[in-house]
Amino acid sequence: MSEIILKNVRKDYDNKSTVIENLNLTIASGSFTVLVGPSGCGKSTTLRMIAGLEDISSGELYIDGKKMNDIDPGDRDIAMVFQNYALYPTMTVKGNIEFGLINAKIPKEEREQLIEEIIDIVGLREYLDKKPSQLSGGQRQRVALARAMVKKPKVFLMDEPLSNLDAKLRNQMRSELIELHHKLNATFVYVTHDQVEALSMATDIVLMEKGKIRQHGSPHDIYTYPKNVFTAQFIGTPEMNIIERQKFEAIATLPEQIAYIGFRPSKVKMYEPTQDQKQKLVFTGTVLTKEMLGSEIIYRVQTNMGVVAVKMFSDINLNLDDEIKLSLSYSSIHCFDENKNRMDILRS
Amino acid sequence: MKIVKKTPRILITIILFLIFFFPFYWMFTTSVKTLGETVRIPPTMWPEIFQWENFKRAFEAIPFMQYLGNSVIVTLSVLILQMCTIVPAAYAFARYKFKGDKILFGLIMITMMIPAQLVFLPLFVMFSKLGWINTYQSLILPFASSAFGIFMLRQTFKQVPKELIEAAKLDKASEFKIIRKIMLPLARPTLTTLGLLTFINTWNDYFWPLVLTTKDTVRTLPVGIASLRNIESGVNFHVLMAGNVMLVIPILIAFLLAQKQIIKAFTYMGDK
Amino acid sequence: MKNELLKKAKPYLFVAPALIIFLVFSIYPIVSMIQLSFFEWDFISPTRLFVGFKNYIALFQDSAFYQTLSNTFVYMILTVGLGILFGVLLALFLNKKSKVNSFMQSIIFSPYIVSLASISFLWMWLMNTDFGLINYILSIFKIGPIDWLGSPKIALFSLVIISVWKTVGYNTIIILSALQSIPKHLYEAASLDKANRRQTFLKITFPMISPTLFFLTIVNIIASFKVFDTIQIITQGGPQNSTNTLVYSLYEYGFKFYKIGYASTIGVVLLVIISIFTIIYFKLLSKKVHYQ
Repeated sequence: MSEIILKNVRKDYDNKSTVIENLNLTIASGSFTVLVGPSGCGKSTTLRMIAGLEDISSGELYIDGKKMNDIDPGDRDIAMVFQNYALYPTMTVKGNIEFGLINAKIPKEEREQLIEEIIDIVGLREYLDKKPSQLSGGQRQRVALARAMVKKPKVFLMDEPLSNLDAKLRNQMRSELIELHHKLNATFVYVTHDQVEALSMATDIVLMEKGKIRQHGSPHDIYTYPKNVFTAQFIGTPEMNIIERQKFEAIATLPEQIAYIGFRPSKVKMYEPTQDQKQKLVFTGTVLTKEMLGSEIIYRVQTNMGVVAVKMFSDINLNLDDEIKLSLSYSSIHCFDENKNRMDILRS
Repeated sequence: MKIVKKTPRILITIILFLIFFFPFYWMFTTSVKTLGETVRIPPTMWPEIFQWENFKRAFEAIPFMQYLGNSVIVTLSVLILQMCTIVPAAYAFARYKFKGDKILFGLIMITMMIPAQLVFLPLFVMFSKLGWINTYQSLILPFASSAFGIFMLRQTFKQVPKELIEAAKLDKASEFKIIRKIMLPLARPTLTTLGLLTFINTWNDYFWPLVLTTKDTVRTLPVGIASLRNIESGVNFHVLMAGNVMLVIPILIAFLLAQKQIIKAFTYMGDK
Repeated sequence: MKNELLKKAKPYLFVAPALIIFLVFSIYPIVSMIQLSFFEWDFISPTRLFVGFKNYIALFQDSAFYQTLSNTFVYMILTVGLGILFGVLLALFLNKKSKVNSFMQSIIFSPYIVSLASISFLWMWLMNTDFGLINYILSIFKIGPIDWLGSPKIALFSLVIISVWKTVGYNTIIILSALQSIPKHLYEAASLDKANRRQTFLKITFPMISPTLFFLTIVNIIASFKVFDTIQIITQGGPQNSTNTLVYSLYEYGFKFYKIGYASTIGVVLLVIISIFTIIYFKLLSKKVHYQ
């Protein structure tokens, strides 16, 4: 088992630009932790510091209780899967998988056995003697995974490993990774900019922005209790509607400290008169645009508080310019103060 | 109609072929003619008598095998030494940032423009002080590195994706292993190209062995064949051509076997 | 701590072997040559006599030197001019991809990889006044006989012909590769605009290959200054000094007359000339890198 701890970690490039100022993060042993955030938020840098591919400017890194700052990447008992796979182009599939084992001076019979174990899991048996250039994107991805898995590391690091695959393959690989995580019983640290990927695979999400952690929690926590406006808007599609106080007051009054309120587009419903009106906010609007997604439709609706995104099942089919009456349960409204941090007033 | 239109093209092609090929043909046929036949007017296009003794005579007039051996030794040594000096230097310039790297690289690039024909005199002085005249090292060491080679290989190394090296580091590969197992295999086309260029240039070199050697023991083929002229009187062109054929044949065979690669190598050189 | 030091020293250690070779066999001789040019020395006597600029003054007062200088530049202008001109013509002629053309490309290129020493002997034979093939062919057309290598008026041009014959194949393949990298859509656009062949060449082909031509010109110029093998084998600078060039007279003064100081002075002149063209070359090179 292996816990990863980053303590007061700082990263400067060429002593000029600071990417990460002071990062404190504990990645639980055996977790599937996804570092997610917009590009330039420092998530890849964090991963690469864990791997040892970037020096840590100051602060400490522990894996499994051992300080790792000055340990070579090869000696950290980790494996990494890269975005562009980084397969050795001049070696065969087998050569790629075997390279790390040879370097670790594992005897030949044992190597053969380890490869044997892994090769069926990734389904590459007939491709062992092919070169990476002869494989499809999905197959290359599997080779990269096999190369990582065969070393039986305590920690798997993955840097956007699925972003070069097409949508269908990506979905398939996602469930395979989840399965793999269960099977291997190792710590996974996974970097992506795609919040859907984060929500679907993670046991823990670390949401980062500008080198800082904005929220660290389970996907459910992060989705239902966003700690700030940034998290609220980054997680979930379409993004959460955030309404400024003044605009919202066009339809309802608010307790004093609240500066922003937010609600997810999926929480807005068509108004039905039979409902208990006291627990609901009711407002009207005009349909501006309509985006058909299949089982659901996203509408942009002009209301008194501004343009609002609304997501509904496609059995309710509205047309552009339709005048509609909508309702929103008070319990699904999130409140934020003027610093854009969460306040839990309305909920009680 | 089509043929009429194509006639000038075919004609030019034939003329070009004759201009560039016929001199070689003439060299080969002269090399087997008798002295009498070489000076006949009009000349014969196909030898009447094949006098193969010309080759024997050329072969015996000079220590041919010695020259050949020297050529092989010098060319191979230059090739091996160049690889040994080019690879680490190109790797360092491609993969490391260090103080003075730009200045050192610039210095090396400048030497690309200093021809042997410019520096032979001071080097001769230096070598004679060292007692190095008529030694292999005086023929080999000045060419033990190649600025052009460093330039090309550095470009190739720079194109290797960073992630590949990082993956290898995570696979516990030492730096030496990264060079040997990842960088060099990827640079093979460049290395082949550089090797071909060095082989051709060293094998053909006439100037350097001429100015730095006086004895047969270390002279290479081009200088050796040239000494035929002093032994045979100037008019014995049949023997001279026989010697010439023996000098040209290894290169022509190499060209026949790898002409695409050689032409590509030289094109590559000009592109940069 | 020791590890840290080794890590810092590593790139220098990697560069060192190559760097030592260049310092000892390129940079040092240049310095040494400049130094020698201020001395009088016959190579044998143990002492060198410092003479200041005497060698330079003597050199610039020597009419033979001006002939050598002029030979060097005439040779350069002719080989480079003709080499590039024929290179362009041949490349245009062979531009269409076909088996015959790629065969011809190899044939035209083949002299380039053959030793210049061989080529010199071969052409000595072809250009032989009495029995040479060239004069025989000319005699069919009632021309000649021409004293290719023995006439002071012609010998230098004969050397130019040999050089162009040997190197034009190189120019051709380089220009061909430039021609073939011109995007097809430019020609398609031109044909839609009803451009004729001359316009197409002047407005598209020539501008697109001109960087390559500039580049080749400089490379050819620097190569032409190095000419030695043909002169040493065929003419030895004669007749009447008509084929003596800077490199050859540097060789003669050094190795035949043992005037090391004077020879070094010629070397310094050559160094200055090559440096000027080298600077132009690097200016072009850095520009080219910017384009990519």
